[in-house]
Amino acid sequence: MTRHDDTLVAMLLGDAPATPAVRRRLAGDEGERSRRALSALDALYGDARVQPAAHPDAQPPARPMVYWDSLDALIGRVLVAVSDAGVVRIAFRRSAASFVAELAQQLGAEAVRSRARTADVVRQLRGYFAGERLAFELPVDLGRLTQFQRRVLTATAAVPAGRLVSYGDIARRIGRPGGSRAVGQALGHNPVPIVIPCHRVIAASGRIGGYTGGLGIKRALLRIEGTLAAVA
Amino acid sequence: MKSAFTNRRGAVLEMMRMRTSPLGFADLVARHRSEIHRYLVRLLGDVEDARDACQDTMLRAQVAFPRLRPDSNPRAWLFRIATNAARNTGRGRTRRARHTADVELDGLPAAAVASPEQREDLRLVARAVDALPPRQRAALMLRRFHGLAYAEIAASVGGTETAARANVYQAIRKLRAALEDDL
Repeated sequence: MTRHDDTLVAMLLGDAPATPAVRRRLAGDEGERSRRALSALDALYGDARVQPAAHPDAQPPARPMVYWDSLDALIGRVLVAVSDAGVVRIAFRRSAASFVAELAQQLGAEAVRSRARTADVVRQLRGYFAGERLAFELPVDLGRLTQFQRRVLTATAAVPAGRLVSYGDIARRIGRPGGSRAVGQALGHNPVPIVIPCHRVIAASGRIGGYTGGLGIKRALLRIEGTLAAVA
Repeated sequence: MKSAFTNRRGAVLEMMRMRTSPLGFADLVARHRSEIHRYLVRLLGDVEDARDACQDTMLRAQVAFPRLRPDSNPRAWLFRIATNAARNTGRGRTRRARHTADVELDGLPAAAVASPEQREDLRLVARAVDALPPRQRAALMLRRFHGLAYAEIAASVGGTETAARANVYQAIRKLRAALEDDL
């Protein structure tokens, strides 16, 4: 937080004129990030659209369907949701009501409980918890994620049971060495844990790292796969 | 606008005011309501919450209008009332918002039209905006999107002109820092 810093911000805000020295700084990393930050801010809040009230005669747009069900597993209740494209959400340690509310809110979808539509994923998860299956054969719907998140999750899906990799390994595999923190964040928002095995990603030190569902669940999953002993 | 005048006493007060003031309350509302609403969307990140806060702002403004001094800046005055109204709306909702901010980029304006590369920046910046202290967020929005001078920002969010400028700059540094880990 130097005076230089302030002249850069001042110039970007139009509070101060662009001197040659500030222009040079603007071409550097910090200037580039500053511009990206402001352009993201403008994209997010620039128009601050105030939605017009729906016309009373307008037909409500058709909402996509999403089908959900729950199963009891050794880690407790597991909730699953499937869209027309594939498995779209897996969650644990929460109520079905909040899960369904979130499906409606995040996917803009109509959530319907359906044993038939979720049969594949439920059967394969049961097999996994029974120790009879270590790989899943299921389409996964990552449609609403960012490109970066998809790349992280796709790379993670390629890690087989019995193997452990670090956040940095995943970052290198997707061509973003040094991006391990961003990888950790993307994995923290893995919409389909277990099926995309983010629990097989641990810290470079060999420590277990983090897990959105709680470290107890991460340990339980690694125990099933026989790799818990390898974690510090 | 109608609901701002649902009570009859308010309507009478407003008419009396119209006679004595060059700018009546109705004019003030007509002129600034949509801008105030957009400001509240920027503060609260949610159109519905902003609508409630805007309603609240106009009711408070109506009550306080007779005490508005003729020489004061009515726009900055409305922004101040809106900033306070947002603070009350934000209470108790902030925690929920923080939990969901990460995953609800789709609910934010304009996010849907961004390119995939931009979306990652949007996600990080949206999260950083949500983490800003209310005063920094307010000062940032007033400067960037409403073109207020720092003296007007100070009048709207409280504190000195110097503090208003510092709040804006500090907010921008935080947004920039949010992109640092991701390079």
